[in-house]
Amino acid sequence: MKKLTTHAAQSVTRPAPGAPPLVFIVDDDASVRRSLGNLLESGDYAVETFGSASEFLERAAYPGPSCLVLDVRLPGLDGLGLQRHLAERGRGEQIVFITGHGDIPMGIQAMKRGAVDFLPKPFGDDQLLDAVERALARSAEAVRARAELEAIRTRLATLTPREFEVFRLVIAGLLNKQIGAELGAALRTIKIHRSRLLRKLGVVSVAELTRLAQKAGVEPAPPLGR
Amino acid sequence: MSWVTIIWSMAASASLTLAAMHLLVWCRKRAAWVNLLFALTAIATAGVAACELWMMHSETPREFGTALRWLHVPGWLVVVSLVGFVWVYLRSGRLWLAWAACVLRTLSLILDFLFTPNLNYREITTVRHIRYLGESVSVGEGVLNPWMLISQAGLALLVVFTVDATITAWRRGSRRPALWLGGAIVFFTLASTVQIVLVIWEVARTPLTPSLFFLGIVAVMGYELSRDVLRAAQLSADLRESEERMTLAAEAAGFGVWMWSIPGNHIWGSERWLRLFGFVPGAAVTFEEVIQRIHPDDRELVEREVRYAVEQRVVYAGEFRVILPDGTQRWIAARGRMGPDTLGNPARMLGAAIDITDRKQSELRIEAQRNELAHLSRATLLGELGGSLAHELNQPLTAMVNNAAAGRRFIAKGHTDPQKLDALLEAVVVDGRRAGDILRGIRDMIRKDEDVRKPLDLNAALAEILRLVRPDALGRHCTLVREFDSGLGAVNANRVQLQQVFLNLIMNAMEAMDLKPAETRRIIVRTERPAEGEVRVSVRDFGDGLPPGEPEKVFAPFFSMKRSGMGLGLTIARSIVEAHGGRITAANAEGGGACFSFSLPTLPEDGATVPDSPRSGGGPAA
Repeated sequence: MKKLTTHAAQSVTRPAPGAPPLVFIVDDDASVRRSLGNLLESGDYAVETFGSASEFLERAAYPGPSCLVLDVRLPGLDGLGLQRHLAERGRGEQIVFITGHGDIPMGIQAMKRGAVDFLPKPFGDDQLLDAVERALARSAEAVRARAELEAIRTRLATLTPREFEVFRLVIAGLLNKQIGAELGAALRTIKIHRSRLLRKLGVVSVAELTRLAQKAGVEPAPPLGR
Repeated sequence: MSWVTIIWSMAASASLTLAAMHLLVWCRKRAAWVNLLFALTAIATAGVAACELWMMHSETPREFGTALRWLHVPGWLVVVSLVGFVWVYLRSGRLWLAWAACVLRTLSLILDFLFTPNLNYREITTVRHIRYLGESVSVGEGVLNPWMLISQAGLALLVVFTVDATITAWRRGSRRPALWLGGAIVFFTLASTVQIVLVIWEVARTPLTPSLFFLGIVAVMGYELSRDVLRAAQLSADLRESEERMTLAAEAAGFGVWMWSIPGNHIWGSERWLRLFGFVPGAAVTFEEVIQRIHPDDRELVEREVRYAVEQRVVYAGEFRVILPDGTQRWIAARGRMGPDTLGNPARMLGAAIDITDRKQSELRIEAQRNELAHLSRATLLGELGGSLAHELNQPLTAMVNNAAAGRRFIAKGHTDPQKLDALLEAVVVDGRRAGDILRGIRDMIRKDEDVRKPLDLNAALAEILRLVRPDALGRHCTLVREFDSGLGAVNANRVQLQQVFLNLIMNAMEAMDLKPAETRRIIVRTERPAEGEVRVSVRDFGDGLPPGEPEKVFAPFFSMKRSGMGLGLTIARSIVEAHGGRITAANAEGGGACFSFSLPTLPEDGATVPDSPRSGGGPAA
């Protein structure tokens, strides 16, 4: 239970699946930066541009689906550094790298760390717009998943400790009678707990309950000591 | 004709002849005040003699009185001109004494014309005839005027002034003129005064004859001046001889000697000089004829520099090519200086010239080799920088492609806002230009340059290189810190070669820090003016520094601190800097790392007389 609350606190902004998608551009070359902005605008994307990694980090994290078009070489914190920095803080921006240097090891490293694409300059407009589209789709999915998770966690937070214990024993596959024995409680009491927690979590079947537990990362209770 | 007439006429005419000669000298040479003053003394002496003759031949007391009155006029002139002469010739004497003598004499001249019949007599009663030199001459008698003592006092002051001036001159060391001139003036003036006193008080029964005493002074003065003329003649003969000796020595050393008389535009040249320019021995040539012999490319510059040296009275020094009548080309180094006349106008220019064809050819050969090497090492440097250059060129290309694609997409969607499309196209144009500039810079660096030196903004040239290496520096996580002095002044330099030197230093600095932690990788590029007429560029890194001992060793050929280095980059850099008249040094910086710096001479501020020699650096030559 404790673990869950800390997780929730770390995500700075609440995911907003309904917010419009937004593209961030970080490149230190002003004319390249502006041209990227123009290209993305022609693809009907909302765009914000930044000259360096630190400038970008000053901006508050965007809750909606977002994509970062990022130059590898930057003064100060470079592109790969920024990618690591964002990952460490659990931020969900999907990254499309652009580089003037077709540096393959660097590209591999970036892709391994979850970049959507790694485009050598100059690239075709379709290549970039396609990559941005994929990134936004991924981001939207991630935002949606995170929003769902948030919802589940909110509901989980309404359970009493006793109900939570029952929950973990139910998804471990124990019958009510076995749960009662485990907890030293009457069968009737267990039944009440069980129906309450189903109601609180908004599910009707044990199968649904198991899926929810998986999504929320709630583990089944440890095997019986006896 | 009587003796008196003969003697006095001869005295007067001798004085006038001397006066005429020296007056002529003064007319030709206005600064010769001594000659003018001497001429005035001589004229006055002649005047005194004439008045005396008039007195001796006067029949009435009235006529005698008038003659004596007029005698004071040349007498005044004698004293004044003598005072002046002593002052100028001996260059000594007290000014107040000089003024006192002149003022007293002037006062007595004024009184002379206020009293009747004159300063000496209140009244002349009779004119007696006495025998003098076997003839009857007139002598006045009458009541004396005590005021005449003023004129005697004037003469006495002249004596005092002269004695004082003589002593000063004697002490100073000009003994001979002091003794002769001072002695003569003192002796004859005293003698004259004694005679006047004796005659006026009727102790001696002779006529007044001061002119004879003044003639003695004039004779001594004339003798002294003619000695000066003789000495000057001897000096000029000596000078001519020494000039001839110098010409001989210069010719023996291979120099040709020339002298250009500027007003008459006539150039005299020694035989060797004439042969240097392909003239026949003994030919008289003009400045224009000499200029015509100079190579057309150098002609204008030489003419401009010579005229400048004449106007500004500075030494001319230059190297230029001469085309001989048979078509052969020859390099000549020439030097000269203008000599003004007494009024300070340009009178002549003296100089020497020497054939430097051999030296110049080997210089050009060495320069060609240096350029070849520089070109090779530049190409190597650019090879190392290849990735960075590609990146730098990629930026504008990317921007152009993006903007063009964006435009097409807008059009395809029917968003044909002309302002928006125009902005996109303008961005394409700007980036196209930028790409062109970068390409031009790279092409300049790769091309074999014809060695041209031009006035150059050093900061701008360095900034271009910093832009080229920026992507490389970013890739190496190296920060470039720029500390430029904006008031640097121009240098006369080969842009590409200086950029090469700088690029070399920057690349070395970056490589020196490759193994250092990324956050410490920093290069400080500084330009400054350490002294008037000098600029310095320094490149400081924070690497391991130079090996201890002799930091200058890094400039030696084949010395390298890199794993993959030929060890020629810095050697070539040094040869480039030195060919520009500069210096390059290496040292370990305080606080770690190495600091390379090179300094160059700046152009003069006005830039009007920029030596812009086609091949040589235009520096002064022997």
